Amino acid sequence: MSRLLNALGLIAVDTVLVLAFIDQLWFHDLPCPLCILQRAGFIAAGFGLALNLCFGPRPSHYGVVILGAAAGAAMAMRQVLLHIVPGTGSYGNPIFGLHLYTWAFIIFALMIVGTAILLLNDRQFGRPEPWSQRLSALPLTAFAIFAVVVVGNIISTLLLCGMGFCPDNPTEYLLFGATPA
Amino acid sequence: MMSLPFLLFACGLGAAWLRQRGAAMGFWVAGLVTLLVLFRLHISDVLNIAL
Repeated sequence: MSRLLNALGLIAVDTVLVLAFIDQLWFHDLPCPLCILQRAGFIAAGFGLALNLCFGPRPSHYGVVILGAAAGAAMAMRQVLLHIVPGTGSYGNPIFGLHLYTWAFIIFALMIVGTAILLLNDRQFGRPEPWSQRLSALPLTAFAIFAVVVVGNIISTLLLCGMGFCPDNPTEYLLFGATPA
Repeated sequence: MMSLPFLLFACGLGAAWLRQRGAAMGFWVAGLVTLLVLFRLHISDVLNIAL
């Protein structure tokens, strides 16, 4: 049961990161530096779920999720506060009335609460042996998509920012010199 | 520079896949520290939230 919930949680993280890519590639909404850091926050949090899938549930893996989500929430909150005063603008297009950084903060908060709920189940830590090294279909799929998205973010960030820092308001891929059509 | 946290997390995932838990956790810690350093470097502006 715990493994299923961890796999579903990792698929939820995968979905968020894939949607961010769709927004970037399909709607040409290039991510700002804080947006990129929030993506890394999702990956830092999802890393704990991936560890649970590989090694079995451990409190330290849930700690990884909480710390990653807390770091991501801090970054999302910073961006919310940058635009919270009326007239200070916003970044990107709103989705269902909220900007992506606001959604990111909500999701990070939900991850922390969800992880706390998962931690309430003590029986998951009572297994004397680690789980089988063979991952079943759903956890394997979640892990594989997560790995692909992480590698995708490496490539995307390199294309967008090159080897240095990203521009505050990116309008083109630095390595391309132009926004793709 | 900005892709460094992703790179470290990717290395951590590779280590986890190879059943190297200690290395995976090490890469994750390095990635998180890098992430926080990059975050600190990007919050040079003072927030304008005075009412």
